[in-house]
Amino acid sequence: MSALFLAATTEPWWISLIKAAIIINIVLVTFAYLTLAERKIMGRMQLRYGPNRAGPFGLLQPIADLVKLVRKESFFPAAAIDVLYIFSPFIAAFAALSTFSVIPWGPGWHIGGYYVTGYVANVPIALILIFAVGSIGIYGFIVGGWSSDSKYALLGSMRTCAQLVSYEVSLALSVLGVVIMSRSLSLVDIVDRQYHEWWYLPYAVPQFVGFVVFMLAGTAETARAPFDLPEAEQELVAGYHTEYGGMRFGLFTMAEYINLITLSGLAVTLFLGGWHIPGPWLQAYGPIWFLLKLGALIFVFIWMRATLPRLRYDQLMRFGWKVLLPVATLNAVITAIVVVAV
Amino acid sequence: MIASVGNVLVWMVWVGAATACLASGIAVVTLTNPFFSALGLIGNLSSLAVLYLLASAEFVAAAQVLVYAGAVMVMFLFVIAYLGGRADAPWAGGSKLFRIAAVVTGGALLAETLVALLWKSSRLSHSAAVGPTFGSPAEIGRSFLTDHLLAFEVTSIVLLVAAIGGVVLGIQPSPEEETTA
Repeated sequence: MSALFLAATTEPWWISLIKAAIIINIVLVTFAYLTLAERKIMGRMQLRYGPNRAGPFGLLQPIADLVKLVRKESFFPAAAIDVLYIFSPFIAAFAALSTFSVIPWGPGWHIGGYYVTGYVANVPIALILIFAVGSIGIYGFIVGGWSSDSKYALLGSMRTCAQLVSYEVSLALSVLGVVIMSRSLSLVDIVDRQYHEWWYLPYAVPQFVGFVVFMLAGTAETARAPFDLPEAEQELVAGYHTEYGGMRFGLFTMAEYINLITLSGLAVTLFLGGWHIPGPWLQAYGPIWFLLKLGALIFVFIWMRATLPRLRYDQLMRFGWKVLLPVATLNAVITAIVVVAV
Repeated sequence: MIASVGNVLVWMVWVGAATACLASGIAVVTLTNPFFSALGLIGNLSSLAVLYLLASAEFVAAAQVLVYAGAVMVMFLFVIAYLGGRADAPWAGGSKLFRIAAVVTGGALLAETLVALLWKSSRLSHSAAVGPTFGSPAEIGRSFLTDHLLAFEVTSIVLLVAAIGGVVLGIQPSPEEETTA
């Protein structure tokens, strides 16, 4: 049996299963309330209230949205290729949900005679795994846009494809510095080494350039403003999901928001010390610190969306290839030289 | 008990991945719509990655999905979707020489596989011992920079040449050159 399976099964398999179920549900609830938080925060930034009718302070709005989407008629274009059209949202949502399994969120606890680790799986190649699954998730967007037989959807999926492929390179190069410094691809090890080797300092301090590149490339990778070209309403109606409605559209939206959550979780893990806080105290409350850092990063993403106007398409491509990629490459090379020399 | 359950699981995964590999390979060459062929190729590369995983090569498996099933095939789909593959007539086949060459090459590969299976079957029937670090990124990096340094460097030069070639082919002539030409 391969090391990958062994690494994932250091505790009884049913504990991993329970943890996976809990994590997936937490991520789904976070997604639901992220949509509300985004509308609320952007509302306040634009001097209005945001949704406030469904329940106290509009807190039941995500549930109302869900009921609306589920009850909608699930029609599709007559010329659409139905198998691909129906399966694309599933692929996108599956890829988005599964990446969260390798992100650690706590130190591990003794519960009822069992030692429960603070992650679902500690895979030695976790970082590559996340990028690999993410690259499969892109197919959901491309195939969905192509199979719905619509010019706007096709143009949207072409843009998504070009943008995601362009910025994936910078994203992968920006984390190379962290990998070189921690000498590991396992996210559990990376979090550990930030805490133990760097006087509690997170990698965002020595890898500041990498962190900035990661956040910028990540914004483009999740197609968030100001890089939301794939969904530019004025040009493309809606993007690759133009022809989607009801819960199929909901699945695409879910995939996008969960990608944002995963990306923020990855940034917290790689650059902000993961579930640790600086100093030797209160480490047992790991999940709380993790969620606080995650919330802060997601707030930054929402803030950017409310603040910055959308780029032009040629500006986006030029920025990705001529600014972000050289900076990320230089950062990786300099980090390698410094690590070898010191 | 646990080992046997694990073995059954590995066998089930192997049978599933091998079947998917063959089925998607056949789909690539039989489907007439290029978009579906490309999807078949993605399935083929992904199921190959599962087989790599079973052979304790998890880094190779992840790299396979990331590079081939992910980045390379996205380009294929991009081009096919741009060219509007749906309306294309199926490929009528090339010259007779091509067909003969394809049959001969395929037959040679099949014969080679059969020979390897039948003559060396005693060596294939039990798994080779691998160390705990086999297939880890550190081990692969070490063998790249020691045992296979020449091949590694030559490959990087080939990639560099390909990248420069891509840039040269992609340069559009400036308007002045176009008018003089």
